[in-house]
Amino acid sequence: MLMNDRLREVVTSTSILMVSLWLVPSLAAAQAAEVPRAWDSRPDLNGIWQAIGTAHWNIQDHSASAGPPDMGAIGAVPPGQGVVVGNEIPYQPSALEQKQWNFENRFTEDPEIKCFMPGVPRATYLPYPFQIIQGDQKIMLVYGFADANRTIHMDKESPEPAPIDTWMGRSHGQWDGDTLVVDVAGFNGEAWFDRAGNFSSNLLHVVERYTLTGPNVLMYEATIEDPNVFTRPWTIRMPLYRRLEENVQILEFKCVEFTEDLLYGHLRKDPTR
Amino acid sequence: MNRTRTVVVLIAAGVSLVAVPTIASPADYHHVHVTASNATEAVKWYTLYMDCQPLADRDDGVDCDGVQIVFDSRPSLGTSQRTGIDHISFSYADLTSKMAELEAVGVRGSGVRLQRFEDGSTLRDAPGLFKHGFVFDPWGTRIEMVEDTDYLGFHHIHLSATDPAATLAWYQEMFDGDSARLRDRLSGVLFGDTWLLASHHEEGTPAATAGRAIDHIAFSVDNLDLIGADLRGSGVEFLEEPAVPEGGRTSGRRALIAGPDNVRLALVEAWFAGVATDLNHPVDITTDLQPYTVPRTPWGAPDFQGVWTGDAAHGIPLQRPEDLANVQVLTPEQAAARRERGTLGSIWGYESEWRDTTLGYVKSAPSRQVAMVIDPPDGRIPPMTAKGEESRVAARAARRPLAEGPEDLSSWVRCITRGLVPTPGVYNNGIQIVQGPGYVALQREMIHETRVVPTDPRSHLGPDIRSWLGDARGHWEDDTLVVEIRNFNGRAPYQGSSDTLMMVERYTRTGPNTLEYRFTIDDPTVWTRPWTGMFAFVRDDTQYELVEYACHEGNYGMTNILSGARAQEKAAHEVKK
Repeated sequence: MLMNDRLREVVTSTSILMVSLWLVPSLAAAQAAEVPRAWDSRPDLNGIWQAIGTAHWNIQDHSASAGPPDMGAIGAVPPGQGVVVGNEIPYQPSALEQKQWNFENRFTEDPEIKCFMPGVPRATYLPYPFQIIQGDQKIMLVYGFADANRTIHMDKESPEPAPIDTWMGRSHGQWDGDTLVVDVAGFNGEAWFDRAGNFSSNLLHVVERYTLTGPNVLMYEATIEDPNVFTRPWTIRMPLYRRLEENVQILEFKCVEFTEDLLYGHLRKDPTR
Repeated sequence: MNRTRTVVVLIAAGVSLVAVPTIASPADYHHVHVTASNATEAVKWYTLYMDCQPLADRDDGVDCDGVQIVFDSRPSLGTSQRTGIDHISFSYADLTSKMAELEAVGVRGSGVRLQRFEDGSTLRDAPGLFKHGFVFDPWGTRIEMVEDTDYLGFHHIHLSATDPAATLAWYQEMFDGDSARLRDRLSGVLFGDTWLLASHHEEGTPAATAGRAIDHIAFSVDNLDLIGADLRGSGVEFLEEPAVPEGGRTSGRRALIAGPDNVRLALVEAWFAGVATDLNHPVDITTDLQPYTVPRTPWGAPDFQGVWTGDAAHGIPLQRPEDLANVQVLTPEQAAARRERGTLGSIWGYESEWRDTTLGYVKSAPSRQVAMVIDPPDGRIPPMTAKGEESRVAARAARRPLAEGPEDLSSWVRCITRGLVPTPGVYNNGIQIVQGPGYVALQREMIHETRVVPTDPRSHLGPDIRSWLGDARGHWEDDTLVVEIRNFNGRAPYQGSSDTLMMVERYTRTGPNTLEYRFTIDDPTVWTRPWTGMFAFVRDDTQYELVEYACHEGNYGMTNILSGARAQEKAAHEVKK
C-alpha cells in the first residue's frame, strides 16, 4: 500500500506516542487516573457522545455557502475547518468527477436526505448524539439517525468476512493499549461521507481509533482506504464530546416518514412531486 | 440389460416418490423413511389435492395410482424447477375444474401456488397433446397438471436435460424401460404406465437435484451387486457405495449414483425400507424447566446478552382458540401441525426456496404453548371500552382498498417500525441484546430498531416528547428485567392501542437458551382491563446471526404497491370511458 510521506510521518509519530505511553509507567498511570475505567480496567467508553462541528456538511475545509433559497439562513452551509488530516482527499481522477456529480445532485441523491443508513464513518459526525454500550463481548453503537446502529465484535480472534455487504459494514474491535481499534469492512458502497458528495465504493475499509483523552472527550480517528476511489489511504480526526445534560438519552428519530414525499410523492393519488 | 427392477422416484424437502414397478415382475416396493411434521402435512396435502392415498403401513408417504411419494422432513434448498428433475405430473379428466378448485384453495388456504403463463392464464393447450398447467406444492415441488385421458393419475416425471435424447436413451438402457412416444409426439421412456420425459434445458446445465425439492429418483433392483457392476462398467459415478445406510430399518442396501444432468439416483434392494431418523430438535422451549441460575455480567447484572430468536414461537395464536378451552399444552404432534399450517398460510407471494433457506422455524421445536394471552386466564383479550370500540370501527372504516399514499399502508410496510410487540412473523425474528453498566440495549432484527433501556432510576421524558416505540425505563426485579414504556405517539397501534398505552415488558431468562418475554398492555382508553401475553425467545448462537435489515433503503414494495394502485385506478378509469 502506498502512503505519501506526510501520512507516513503522521502514522509513525502516533505509533511512537502510543508506544511511549505504554513504556513509561508513570505516564500511563497518570492517564489511567484521568479516564473512567470499565470492569476490566479498559477505558470505559459507555455514554452518549456527539461531534461538534461542520463535518456533516463537508469533511474538508469549506467557506460558507448558500443552501436552498427558500430556507434562507437556516439552510445555508456554515463555514468549517475540515477534519481530513492535511485536508486533501486523494481521489482518483474518475472518482473526483463522481464526487462533483454527487455534489451537484446532493438534494436528491444524498443518502442522508432519503433517511438511509449513514455508513461509517459518517454516522459518527452526523449532528446527532450516539450512545456506546460497552458489553464484555460486544460493543454496540446506537446512533440518533435513521435507527442506525453497529455491533463491534470484540470476541473474534480475527476479522471474519461480512456475510453480506451492508450500509454499516461489519466491525471487529480490539484494544491497542487504551485505544479501541475497530476494523470495518463489508460495505455496500452506497453511503457517502458528507453532504458535499464525498464517497467511496464497496471496497471501503475503515480503521477507527477511539481514545479517551479525559472523562468527557473521546478522540476519534479513522483511516480510510478504497483502491477503487482513492490513490492512497487518508485519515480524518476529530474529538467527540460527552453529552452531559442530566438524563440525556438518544431520542427516537425515525426519519422515514419525512422522506416519503421526496421518494414516493410522484406515486401519490394526488402527486406532490 | 435384462433384469427386473422397480422404479422409485424420490422427492425431497420433501417429498420422495416411488414410481411403479413397471415391468411385469414381482419386485416389491420398498419404503423410504422420512421424519415428522412436514411429512404429516405433506401426506395430507397430496391426499387432499392430488387425490393420492396415504400409505397403509406408514405415515410418511402416499400412493398415487401405484406410484409412491414418500416425504422427507428437512428444509429444501429450493424448488425442483430448473434442476435435472424439473417436475412431476398428474393427469385429470377435467383439468379446467381441477385447476379452478386449486385456485380457489390458493396459497393462503393451504399453500397451493399456481404458476401462470405469460398471458396470466393457468391453463393452455399444448398443440397435439393436451391441456396443461403448473402448480407448486408448498415445499417447492413443481407439478405439471395435464388432461391426458389415456393415462389418468400420476402421469410422468419430467427431466431437464442438456441432450434429452441421450438422457432418455441412458435411462432406457440402464433401467430397462420401454422407448415410446407420448401421443406420438413426445419421446419418452415408459415404466409401466408412468412416463419418463425429458426436455431441453434452456440455459447452461441443469441444477443438481440433491437437497432440492425433488431430491432424487430411486430404482429398486433385484441384484444390486450385479447392476452396480454394470453401471460401474459403464463409467457411472457412485456417490455412495452399496451399503445399509445409518438408521436403515432393514438389511436392505442402498447406493447413490450420479445420473445425467446432475440428477441423483438411488438404487435400492427390494427389501430396503427407508431410514429411521430421530426427531432431533435442538431446542424445546416447553419442556419442564429446571431451576436455573442466571449468569451475571462482570459488573453484576443478570446477563441476557446474545442473539435470540422468536422463531420457535411462530404460530402461537395471540388468543386461545375456543376449541382448546381446557387444553394445557399441545401435544408435539399438534404443535408440529400448527406450525406447518401457520407457515403454509403465511408464505403467499414468496418463492419457496427463499422461504426454506430464510426461515429459522425448522431449527427449533415448535412451541406447544396454546395461546400468547395468559391474563385474563381464559386467554382472550378483555372487552373494549365504548371509546375503544368506536376507534376500532373508525379505523376500519378509514381503510382504503387502494393506497392513495404511504400513510395508507402500515408502519411495517413503510419500514418505520415493526410495532410494539415483536410477535414472531415468518422471518427475521431475531433480537440482539448487549449490556453495559446501567443499560440494556435490545435490538430487533427487522427494521434494526434498537431500544436502549436505562436500568438506573430516572424519570420518564416529558409528555410532549412522543414516539413510535415510546419512552422506556427499566429496572431489575430479582433476575427479571422490567421495562415500563409510555409516551407512545399511538400511530403504530397494537391490537387497537392508543397514545394512552402504558406497556410493561418483562424479560426473564428461564434456562440457558430460553428468554421468556411477557408484555402487559394497559390502555384504559381502549380496554376495560389490562391484559398480558407471553412467549419465549430461544438462543442458538450456532444457527442465528443478525444481518443488517436495510428495510427502507430497499423498499421496492412501497414503490410497487403505490404504482400498482395508480395503474389500477387508471385501468378502472379506462373501463368507465
